[in-house]
Amino acid sequence: MIANADALLKPLTIRGLTIRNRVMSTSHAPGYGKDGKPQERYQLYHEEKARGGIGLTMFGGSSSVAVDSPAAPWNQISVADDSVIPYFQQFADRVHRHGAKLMIQLTHMGRRTKWDTEHWLPTVSASPRREPASRTVPKELEQEDIDRIVAGFASAARRCREGGLDGCEISAAHGHLVDQFWSPSVNRRSDKYGGSLENRMRFGIEVLSAMREAAGDDFVIGIRMSGDEMIPDGLPAEDCLRIATEYARRGLVDFLNIVGGQARDHIAHAISLPNMSFPVAPFLYLPSAIKREVDVAVFHAQRVTDLATGARAVAEGHVDMIAMTRAHIADPHLVKKLSEGRADDIRQCVGAGYCIDRIYVGGDALCIQNAATGREATMPHVIAKAETARKIVVVGAGPAGLEAARVAAERGHKVVLFEKEKTVGGQVNVAAKATWREALSGIPRWLHGQVLKKGVDLRLGTAATPALVAAEAPDVVIIATGGTASKGHLAGTEHVATTHDVLTGAVEPTGTVLVYDEIGGHNASSTAEALAKRGCLVEVATHDRMVAEEVGTTNQPIHLRELYKLGVVMTPNMELMEVYPEGNRLIAVLRNTMTDAEEERVVDRVVIDAGTLPVDALFFELKAGAVNRGVTDFDAMIAGRPQPWPAGAGYQLYRIGDAVAGRNIHAAIFDALRLVKDM
Amino acid sequence: MTPAPTLALLVLILAALAVAQALRRARLWRRGRPAHVDWLAGLKALPRRYLHDVHDVVARDPYAARMHAIAAGGLITASVLGVFGLVPALGHSPVYGALLALAFAAALAGGVMVGRRRSPVKPARLSGGRFRLVPPALTAYAGGGLLVGIAILAGPGFAALGWLGVALAAAGAAVLVYLLGDGPMRHVFAGALHLAAHPRSDRFEGGRETALHPVDLAAPQKLGAETPADFAWNRLLGFDACIQCGRCEVACPAFAAGQPLNPKKLIQDLVGSLAPGGAPYAGSPYPNARPVAGVGGPELPIVGLGAMVHPDTIWSCTTCRACVEECPMMIEHVDAIVDLRRFQTMELGAVPEKAVQPLLDLRQAEEPGGRALAARGDFAAGLALPKIQDRPAEARPAEVLLWLGEGAYDLRYGRTLRALVRLLGAAQVDFAVLGAEERDCGDLARRLGDEATFQDLARANIATLSRHRFGRILTADPHALHVIRNEYPAFGGHLEVVHHSSFLDELVAGGRLAVGDLGAALPGAVTYHDPCYLGRYNGETEAPRRLLDRLGLERREMARSGKRSMCCGGGGGAPVADIEGERRIPDLRMGQASETGAAIVAVACPTCTAMLEGVTGARPEVRDIAELLLAAVEAAPPAAAPARQRQPEPVA
Repeated sequence: MIANADALLKPLTIRGLTIRNRVMSTSHAPGYGKDGKPQERYQLYHEEKARGGIGLTMFGGSSSVAVDSPAAPWNQISVADDSVIPYFQQFADRVHRHGAKLMIQLTHMGRRTKWDTEHWLPTVSASPRREPASRTVPKELEQEDIDRIVAGFASAARRCREGGLDGCEISAAHGHLVDQFWSPSVNRRSDKYGGSLENRMRFGIEVLSAMREAAGDDFVIGIRMSGDEMIPDGLPAEDCLRIATEYARRGLVDFLNIVGGQARDHIAHAISLPNMSFPVAPFLYLPSAIKREVDVAVFHAQRVTDLATGARAVAEGHVDMIAMTRAHIADPHLVKKLSEGRADDIRQCVGAGYCIDRIYVGGDALCIQNAATGREATMPHVIAKAETARKIVVVGAGPAGLEAARVAAERGHKVVLFEKEKTVGGQVNVAAKATWREALSGIPRWLHGQVLKKGVDLRLGTAATPALVAAEAPDVVIIATGGTASKGHLAGTEHVATTHDVLTGAVEPTGTVLVYDEIGGHNASSTAEALAKRGCLVEVATHDRMVAEEVGTTNQPIHLRELYKLGVVMTPNMELMEVYPEGNRLIAVLRNTMTDAEEERVVDRVVIDAGTLPVDALFFELKAGAVNRGVTDFDAMIAGRPQPWPAGAGYQLYRIGDAVAGRNIHAAIFDALRLVKDM
Repeated sequence: MTPAPTLALLVLILAALAVAQALRRARLWRRGRPAHVDWLAGLKALPRRYLHDVHDVVARDPYAARMHAIAAGGLITASVLGVFGLVPALGHSPVYGALLALAFAAALAGGVMVGRRRSPVKPARLSGGRFRLVPPALTAYAGGGLLVGIAILAGPGFAALGWLGVALAAAGAAVLVYLLGDGPMRHVFAGALHLAAHPRSDRFEGGRETALHPVDLAAPQKLGAETPADFAWNRLLGFDACIQCGRCEVACPAFAAGQPLNPKKLIQDLVGSLAPGGAPYAGSPYPNARPVAGVGGPELPIVGLGAMVHPDTIWSCTTCRACVEECPMMIEHVDAIVDLRRFQTMELGAVPEKAVQPLLDLRQAEEPGGRALAARGDFAAGLALPKIQDRPAEARPAEVLLWLGEGAYDLRYGRTLRALVRLLGAAQVDFAVLGAEERDCGDLARRLGDEATFQDLARANIATLSRHRFGRILTADPHALHVIRNEYPAFGGHLEVVHHSSFLDELVAGGRLAVGDLGAALPGAVTYHDPCYLGRYNGETEAPRRLLDRLGLERREMARSGKRSMCCGGGGGAPVADIEGERRIPDLRMGQASETGAAIVAVACPTCTAMLEGVTGARPEVRDIAELLLAAVEAAPPAAAPARQRQPEPVA
């Protein structure tokens, strides 16, 4: 049992609304909206948190209140007309059934959106200053625009109420329209909305006053705002505190949902959504400072990944409720597990940022380690028992094999899990060796604990052979043997080391190192950072437009920041063609992908990340004897049907994760879950 | 003179000496405080109390029961027969001789059995010392009487044999008289008088008078017992009745845990305090005994480093009443300990260090953790927990008032209460809670000797309860149940209280809750741990078992169960006193649960839950019966359970 757990399990009453405990999930945009409405997938995602015991779940990050703040960019929700109300009612029923409360975030994004979607209306703001993140130059709002948008907020609040939601907040964080008016970095107006802080606060006051009028005195309305914009020309903590106390004093808000930072450019965005390179709860001091000055409830989210930290934040009085949004994406049953005394079973968020990084490239939020999140219609968070218990052999205890063993054991099967290494984790162990990527090790750590708890027969240090597998007389054999680092297809691969070689310590480069990034993932950047920290002179070359191009918006800026700090030379648009020795050094030949011009580097080491190739020898040895010839029926798997069970004595054989083709952790875990959940 | 009348005279002298010894002892008892005793009723009830209550306890050890029946029965019958030797005609009657011989032979067999109990090795629970003189004295007296009987039967020619018998009997009798005043045989008259003048006259014949007697806080005398003279005289009599059989010692959880408490030794220390210089104690000591001066007297303190009993001894007690339940002499050990604690707490303020804060909080916040009374319902956040104050004035009285108790503040126990609240909802029970008006029931204060705080809490709770309209009080806490049901009446609170095990059993029996079969969902057997304050204090051992048997679980019994169950270690303020021992009581109890091979220990008390959940390592799971029942209700076939709500249809 964690310390102060009782502090989390106490109710909180705000304006007559009693929330059953102090754990919440903040509004975010998981990319599940459809036609601007929260439909089944969106609702099921939040219902799962409600079933899992959460007190308050807030949905609809950046839900728009006006047509010039389009809902399209991240598959968001539009509250700009009444057609959304039936969806709210259905959504609220679904969440209330499990005793949780449901609120939404309303906003006008101002300049922080796209003009080339949905209605093709120009973006608007307090002043025509370009936002780097959205790359738009907004139109300066006229008084008529302001009145229209204020009325839009009011109507949206009424729709929330009519939709049976328990409340709403407006977003004045991350650089939306309300805080665009607040922030001197955007607002250069000379009318009653600009200049002094009093004037800059006016727009927000008009918005909240109109919302209160439209929604009634018994509807909870809060605000999400920054406690410190952390940019030189932005709002300092003192001004944020003044805004918070003034809005609270005027009775405009029932709660203050405080974050740290702003999000106008790449690094600001990465800081406001802290990844695993940050300590836990890095900005807890901001809501704490505000809570001292106000008598409304204070909420806070930002890398509170574990309940112990959340419990401390509440118990010590820094906040009234702790928001664990990404923590719920990793495990929506967090509170239930805590209150049932099963805190050890909580799948803890590792802060990989996989969920949020996907939505900023137009994808849907998915958890790096929990493949059921966002797929509640087809993937179970609680695995049901199988009707027939079978004997299942899993080979390889990386994320795919561990998840397969966990799910199989939950289904009641008898599971033997072979792992040739002395520890579980597979390639995650390699990745976790690179500086701030260490927290990845939490993924296999949880899986390891679960397979042991569920009685999986884990044979560490045992390389599976056909004879060993046959000795178990299995009904099913799942090959999850992972991949080995590829050296790519350039000339002179024998002179090249891989990122795996460096991180595992197989080679220990010194002097000048060229890291070649063929994949654009974390591997090359984090290996380059590790090498630079060891004192190497490092250049990273890539054929992409920037190193780590595939890494998402909350992680790539951290890689770049660290590489710049360490003086690593980053060379985009270059393809590594050939490596050959000269004396006791190496010559690396690079080709500019745009001009075809060739350059040479004289280095001590060339390290390459060219992905992985499957370790599949055992699969092919077992394939001939398998009743299904090692074939996975994709149609059955996608439809959520059990794999066909062909007649004939013998075992079925499947292959999952990087043992099929090198991809990522989520792919490996999803492969395992969707195959085994029906087995 | 012939042997027969001589034997008769011997018996009469023996009887006279016994009376003299008793009177001498009675002078000591009179040093105690006065007590109201209904002598007539007591003496009238004596045979029934002896034959039922005493022998029901004795018979738990069949050997001891046979031994006592033969030895005591034979001795008394033979002695009474012996007196008839004064009738000249009988002195030569072969029939009389045969009867006398038969009776003494029985007594002799009894004497041999007494001896064989300690041979070849004396069991640890039995005392040595003067107890070793009993078998030879008994066998000499009975053997001598037997020879006299044989001599009468055999005729005049065997007078020499008769005289030999008289001599032998006289020798045995002399020792018995010696052991009567200050030795094992004192139990004969002290025990009989104790049965007649017992301070808890309602505990006999199936009664369970277990409430602590109130202290008159306004009385001029000191509060609680400091010296032997501060005990009521019939309590002192009760201590003298102890036969040192050691059954209490075997049952005592603190003794088993190596804490410095042995109920048998404590009673002997009380006897020794009253009459210093008596027979030296020759039984098991207090485990890990703390050194004391060993100085005592009728007007000298009993507890203290310079006295007879170390404070750690009285604070080790969990008030589980296992010693009282096992005592064949009906001694009330727990009353004695609480009386001693009352003086320490109320007159000296000498409570164990860790008990200071809870008592202070009870006085100042009416709750031993110093927590807000309004937060007692926090555990239920998200569930309907209607407050009785919110009921409309014209509404019917609530069917039950749910008394949440101290466990409501505990995270683990909150799960049990949540299960109970959900069950009440499922059964559509019209219930309500007191909300911020529920104070602590006062159990902890009272067991720690703080009678003043207890009485304040009791009166305040009674006043609150009398303001509201409800049928019964329902509680999952046996301590609250006991205090409200049995101890509040002394302060004017006459309330019907039901434990959740009985109530839930009623709901299932009455068809208000449909249960499914838990057997498949919960593989493995279940064993039920009786809470002391439910089983021994309130006699309820069957309802929880009936309920468990309805759930389709295989139920196994621990070696100690029902009214003879072993304590979890959590009662009587023992956890806050926290006296160091060698082992933890809950570890011992959990060990007994593990021995049954059960996968689940079913509990029915917040204290037991906390103590048993604190046991580390591989062990059965701890589940309250409410949690198990809820699982069974949820496992009920859909027809019986409310239909699961369908997913909402997509909207247009």
